[in-house]
Amino acid sequence: MPSGALLFQSVILGLLLGGLYALLAAGLTLYFGIMRVVMIAHSAFLILAAYLAWWSHTELGIDPLLSMLVTVPLFFGCGVLLQRLLLARLRPVTLTMMSVLLTFAIAVVIEGLLGYVFSGTQRRIQLGYGSASLELFGARIAVVKLIAFGLAGVALAALYLVMKKTTFGWALRATIQHRDAAKLVGIDTDRVAGFGFGLGLATAAIGGTALSLDTTIYPSLHWHWIGPLMAIIVVGGLGSVPGAAAAAMVLGLAQSLLQIELGTTWAQTVFYLALFLTLAVRPQGFFGGRLAQRF
Amino acid sequence: MPSVSERSTKIAATVALTAFAAVALAFPELAPNPYILSVGIVVLNYAVLSTSWNFVGGFTGYISLGHGALAGLGAYGTGLLITKGGLPSFVALGVGAVLVAVVAIPIGYAALRVRGASFVIVSIALVLVTLLVFQSWASFTGGSRGLNVPRPFPGMLRPEHHRVFFYLFLALLALAALVWWLIDRSRFGLGLKAIREDEDKAETLGTPTFAYKLVVFVVSAFFTGLAGGLYALWFGDLDPIFQFSILTGSYMVLMALLGGVRNLFGPLVGALIVGSALEYFKVEFGNTPLHLVATGVLLALVVLFMPDGVLPALGALLRRLSPTTDTSIREVTAAELAATGGDRQHAESRNL
Amino acid sequence: MTIRKATWATAVGATLALVLGACGGDEPEETTNDGPIVVGISLPLTGDFSEPGKGVQRGYEAWAKITNDNGGLLGRQVELKILDDQSNADRVVADYEQLIGSDQVDIVVGPFSTRLVVPAARVAQEYGMLFVEPAGAAKEVFEQGFKNLFYAAPAVANDHYNHLAEYLLALPAGQKPTSVAYAAMDDPFAQGTAYGLKEKLEAGGVKTVVDEVYPPNTTDFSSIAAKIATSKADMLVGGSQYQDGVNLIVALQQLNYQPKLAAFSTAPTSPEFAAAIGNKTEGILSPTGYTQQAPYPSNKEFVEKYTAQFGSPPEEDEANAYTTGQVVAAAITAAGCAEQGDCQKKLIDWVRANKVETVVGPLSWDETGKPQGAHMIQQWVGGEIQIVLPADAKETDLVYPKPAW
Repeated sequence: MPSGALLFQSVILGLLLGGLYALLAAGLTLYFGIMRVVMIAHSAFLILAAYLAWWSHTELGIDPLLSMLVTVPLFFGCGVLLQRLLLARLRPVTLTMMSVLLTFAIAVVIEGLLGYVFSGTQRRIQLGYGSASLELFGARIAVVKLIAFGLAGVALAALYLVMKKTTFGWALRATIQHRDAAKLVGIDTDRVAGFGFGLGLATAAIGGTALSLDTTIYPSLHWHWIGPLMAIIVVGGLGSVPGAAAAAMVLGLAQSLLQIELGTTWAQTVFYLALFLTLAVRPQGFFGGRLAQRF
Repeated sequence: MPSVSERSTKIAATVALTAFAAVALAFPELAPNPYILSVGIVVLNYAVLSTSWNFVGGFTGYISLGHGALAGLGAYGTGLLITKGGLPSFVALGVGAVLVAVVAIPIGYAALRVRGASFVIVSIALVLVTLLVFQSWASFTGGSRGLNVPRPFPGMLRPEHHRVFFYLFLALLALAALVWWLIDRSRFGLGLKAIREDEDKAETLGTPTFAYKLVVFVVSAFFTGLAGGLYALWFGDLDPIFQFSILTGSYMVLMALLGGVRNLFGPLVGALIVGSALEYFKVEFGNTPLHLVATGVLLALVVLFMPDGVLPALGALLRRLSPTTDTSIREVTAAELAATGGDRQHAESRNL
Repeated sequence: MTIRKATWATAVGATLALVLGACGGDEPEETTNDGPIVVGISLPLTGDFSEPGKGVQRGYEAWAKITNDNGGLLGRQVELKILDDQSNADRVVADYEQLIGSDQVDIVVGPFSTRLVVPAARVAQEYGMLFVEPAGAAKEVFEQGFKNLFYAAPAVANDHYNHLAEYLLALPAGQKPTSVAYAAMDDPFAQGTAYGLKEKLEAGGVKTVVDEVYPPNTTDFSSIAAKIATSKADMLVGGSQYQDGVNLIVALQQLNYQPKLAAFSTAPTSPEFAAAIGNKTEGILSPTGYTQQAPYPSNKEFVEKYTAQFGSPPEEDEANAYTTGQVVAAAITAAGCAEQGDCQKKLIDWVRANKVETVVGPLSWDETGKPQGAHMIQQWVGGEIQIVLPADAKETDLVYPKPAW
């Protein structure tokens, strides 16, 4: 039986991890909502952002957080271009399948280029405050993890506000709910879809920076992330941003707690177990997700 | 009364097939050294894998990126049945493939109940979860220490070993192609193609879509398992990282798509092109990860510009060059119709 | 049916063309006995093992240069042919297949990492080639029944910590650590080192309180660290490569865990190690099979010329590759030949029966190709890593308990 201190420590670690999952899964589910696209390259962009943060820290001596000033707008632009120039070209009938292959291809290209430019060596940012921590009721919270969690929280909140309070958000939600109807009421759905993709990719830029603060990165790391993220968006209900956030927190916590008894590798299987169970029992997901029924 | 062009293409096809069979059978004698022969085996293995993949991809239009995991399961199943179960090598190969088919039933059940996106997600998840399980369950699978599969023909020298396995892979390829051909001509195949063109309509017209999809998925898994198992017998050393690799699955897709998924020989042609290209890339650009970039760029180009593959493209070229043309809409898909004309709006709304 | 037939014909035609194309070319080169001795190697220059792979490459290059500067072997120059296996077992087999079958190299030597050594050694065995390797230290390598394989380093992974185990078990009861936490990468080499020590300490009555194994691609060590920290173990043993060791230490620092002793395989000897963990290295232990200060005659020449060639002194990976070269060179000189065929048998028999002087000391092998020796133990003392065990080779005294990190 694990001690109370270990349980408490694991809960805290699980929540911190869940926050990052929530942000990244929000982006992934957003693409799906907008275009029925499973964006395999999402986590490859995540790793790309982490590499840019690492590079700007080691080569230019800039705090990794500042790299977001460049990466967030850059990724937003990439997202818009990706949607308008590539995904919009695919035939609508086979869009879901072909977009998977296309984004898969992009992921592999990014991985290959990262490997070519930065080599396969594992990289890690060495921060002055890298090993600093705060104490909370006997548990320790690393400062870098707290910053990462804060970033994720702020970004998620901003995403929520954009979607709920702005005209663009209103148009975006209308496009997600019914593209043809949105078009009929005068929304330029192509434009909205492009911006929606930009928004999704911007979350990857923030997530990647958060990730780079406290973990090692290497080019093929994105496979390690895309699996759990895809499981999260299915469990949360494809296309539902709040569903993805909720599922992310639950599964992140579950992973952290299961690690106590099962070890890191087996604990990761919780994502896939949840994925298979969801599809077998409740294919539309557990937290809403009207869309998922048919996809 | 067949037209002139039809008869000439028929003759050309027979000649080409006979010539291919002759060259393939003589390849081990023609190969200048064992290395070329081993490359031939690797390419044949790819051909068998992508032909097996094409049971699902070609007939139903469902793209699986997870067939690498099924091949890995076949390889490990065979290896474990020999080392832990004490079965003779080729019995283990058969039993292993049947086990893979059995495992494919619940996977297919979860993956195929809903449409495309979930299927793709499950297929990728399958690779990642099998990798985790086979890495973690070290007491049974050997974990990342790997699993050593005993040689089926102990004491045989390596060049001779290659020769035997070249013919075994060739036989397996012929078998997989034969079964694909039979399904293609059957009522079952017709139902599957109906699913590919329009799943809703097929269902309305009384095709048991779910059952059909599941059966063909299991058949595909069986052949993929056989290919994986045969590879294990040939190669001898299994390691989860390489057996359960997402790249293996993506190579299968790339090969089938490049060659043409609607064509019996599409995957074979794709395997020859991609397999040779991979080998070429290794020799030319060995010490860079550029082979990943090349794979990705090629896949993206195929998806964007040639989703039907090179064979239909070449076939169309051939038809344009031949004097008489008789058109048929049999092989024209809803997707093509949608792309060519005013059906676009309709297709888009259906997709929602 | 026309369309179908047409595509069918195209398919078969295209296939045929490709097969015929594949058959041409690639004629094996004729090898003569006056040309250079070509040594074929496959190394992980990209992928998971690329960093140590490049170290091994430098070691081989240094060996070839130094050997050629001294007049070559049997009057012939040495030429390396290095292929990249992308840290992939499928590739490593294809590479050796190509080197032996197609490129007709005269000698093959080993790649890096246990999981690549075994498949590679099998290819060499089935072509009847001698296979000396610099980096397959796990005991599994020697349980495969290879007749052609020799590991060119002083000891296998499980024996790396032998001197430390002896030292700890000899401590008086009050000082001896009573509980140990083990965390090892699921890799035959890294895990072998940690479990070799675990076996000996457990036999000596030291309790194991945490025993964690993590996959090679793990990046988040916080939960493993949480387990170790809450166990309050006296001693920590990490079966690490490089980055995983660094990550674990940083995660433990975040939880403010302070063991009395901490030992990691490989990681602490890396030049970037100190900076990576915030320079709090004092007291960290690590086994090593090589030291630049080693008194063996060939080592002085190696360190000097290597430093001149590459600008920094050699590390363990480089030394192991160099050692491999030395073993092969000794065999070639003694057997008087270096080519494929019957000569390989002579080389194998010679290595099995003899002792070779190398930069890591005199080496000899048992029936399975396992070397007969143990590793030294190093410790970070006063800001640099120094030999502390065994007593007759030590540069300074072992610091115990270690200062806080």
